[in-house]
Amino acid sequence: MNRLDGIRGGTPGQDHNARSIAALAANPACDRRAILDAAAIDKPLLMKRLRFDDRWGQSPFAIQRNQQFTDLVKANGAAHLLRLLRELLDLPIEEAGYVNLEDVGGHEGHLARHGHTRRVIKQTAEGLGRATILDRPLLRLDVAGAQVYLEPDVIAFQLGGMFHIVAIKSFAILDDQADTPKVSAAAREAAVYVHALRDVVGRDLVSHDVILVCPKDFTNAPTATTVDVRHQLVTLARQLSRLTRIDALLDRLPEGFSLDLETLSSGEIEAAVAAIPARYAPQCLSACELSHLCRKEAHLNEQVDALGRIVRDDLGGIESVTTALRVATPGEPVADDQAEIAERLRHVARIYDEAVA
Amino acid sequence: MGKLRTAIRQATAAGRHAEARALRARLREAERQWDTGVEQPSAQPPLVPVREQVHRALTLLGAPTAAKMIVAVDESFFGGQMANTQLTSLRRDEEKSYRSAPGARPYYLCAALTSELLSPARGLLALSTWELPQRIIGPLSPRTDFLTSAIRLAEHLMRLESASTGAFRLLGQLAQNIPGGGDGFGPADPAKVIAAAGAELAVHQERDQMDRREAAARAADRLKPVERLFGTGLKSVRSA
Ligand code: SF4
Repeated sequence: MNRLDGIRGGTPGQDHNARSIAALAANPACDRRAILDAAAIDKPLLMKRLRFDDRWGQSPFAIQRNQQFTDLVKANGAAHLLRLLRELLDLPIEEAGYVNLEDVGGHEGHLARHGHTRRVIKQTAEGLGRATILDRPLLRLDVAGAQVYLEPDVIAFQLGGMFHIVAIKSFAILDDQADTPKVSAAAREAAVYVHALRDVVGRDLVSHDVILVCPKDFTNAPTATTVDVRHQLVTLARQLSRLTRIDALLDRLPEGFSLDLETLSSGEIEAAVAAIPARYAPQCLSACELSHLCRKEAHLNEQVDALGRIVRDDLGGIESVTTALRVATPGEPVADDQAEIAERLRHVARIYDEAVA
Repeated sequence: MGKLRTAIRQATAAGRHAEARALRARLREAERQWDTGVEQPSAQPPLVPVREQVHRALTLLGAPTAAKMIVAVDESFFGGQMANTQLTSLRRDEEKSYRSAPGARPYYLCAALTSELLSPARGLLALSTWELPQRIIGPLSPRTDFLTSAIRLAEHLMRLESASTGAFRLLGQLAQNIPGGGDGFGPADPAKVIAAAGAELAVHQERDQMDRREAAARAADRLKPVERLFGTGLKSVRSA
């Protein structure tokens, strides 16, 4: 781990949370993000040093609205949640125990809180105690060899020996249809909790179906659906194991590589960031703090990545827009491995010319 | 209004849309009359100190309760006006006052204690005059307390000659989360709430009481008087 700390230098690291870990899974192919995250580089600070006037992330208004809705769902011993679980999963009436795992007296250090969470969850798994709903568990995850605590705003609950993660989100579900990008973001985040909870009680005891609680239609009334996060779990596991094999990525960096935000000049920071290969895609805009920087870079370099993954994949292997245009022009010489794509592009160009002629 | 709603459902289900529309208009009118017909609480009551407002709300609720609910009950049942923020430092102030002159006041607004660690349960306020088991929060207690409070609010509404719409609405909101308590639309039916909450309470009560009595015995045994009221934990030990 010393290499990673060396990269960060004296600047304090940025804590991970479920959102940031979920974002890892949003663009698994990006080395830049992987290295920055493994070294716990403070990405918002980095953007500030490079004078990107960025207001990335949730607006204060959205955060407040989310908090209010969460409070409503959890009020009165999570009475709303209990009703929803009874309706959705036939939770038996007797199963009404609610324990707030944050209540640990004065011992509020992460380690003590996590220990308390583990103990109660394990007891519950063994059928001891009367807890059904476990609010605010403090979970832990191994990210690139570092122990990351997940600040909880999530509920775990047990039914028939299986734990489920409950995610509460304030975007509306209209006519049982939620906005899909938001649902996928929520699913990625919930998958992080499923993964971490599996660390505590074992794989088989945590369901891959998470329960998503959202406001119904245009009201504030909570409603619930289950979301299968198996796919997100696979991506997350792949990404996490990639971080633990970060050494291979680090080997490709120049000797003595540093990204110490406090000592480097902004020019040096820019050069250092540019030295790590990125894989920009428009999806980054909603998932990564660096997106404005990477987008600018992709545009400057005329990278086809900036046009989205579909275009990139269609152009299989061609990396810049200029190359693509050249290859598409009849008569231009093309390399052997580009012959096939050249033929396709020229065909499309012909159709286009005929259409606009 | 209940009958009207049933009629609307039947009409909609049978595809008689014009009829359903007409019925809906009648329902709206009925609701309007009901809202204005029920007497509003008479003008602002004389100024009551916040701790007394909290005391009367808790006395009515009969169980440890979160600030938000205390404020809601005070407003809809007593016509009071408090902001959530007025309650945030209350527990600490009461603890300070208790420590400087223990027992000088007839009652203190104090903490509820978690059954496992006997630490203060986050966000809940209780009354020092309650028996210790009543102030213990075991796993089932949030549920039994919720049901108990719903019953007590409903009973209170049945005793009152006239109550505010707000009070019925609040009870309606609670009732929607009690099986058989109501659908959450429109005013609640107190008798129905009492029956439904009572039925679920019967399921949990015995186990809950057992947990609470066991923890209360432990607290009586191990905690100093001030800790029995405000909980233990590093913080209170340090400042003691
Ligand atoms: S914005 Fe940049 S660093 Fe972040 S994931 Fe996308 S390409 Fe990687």
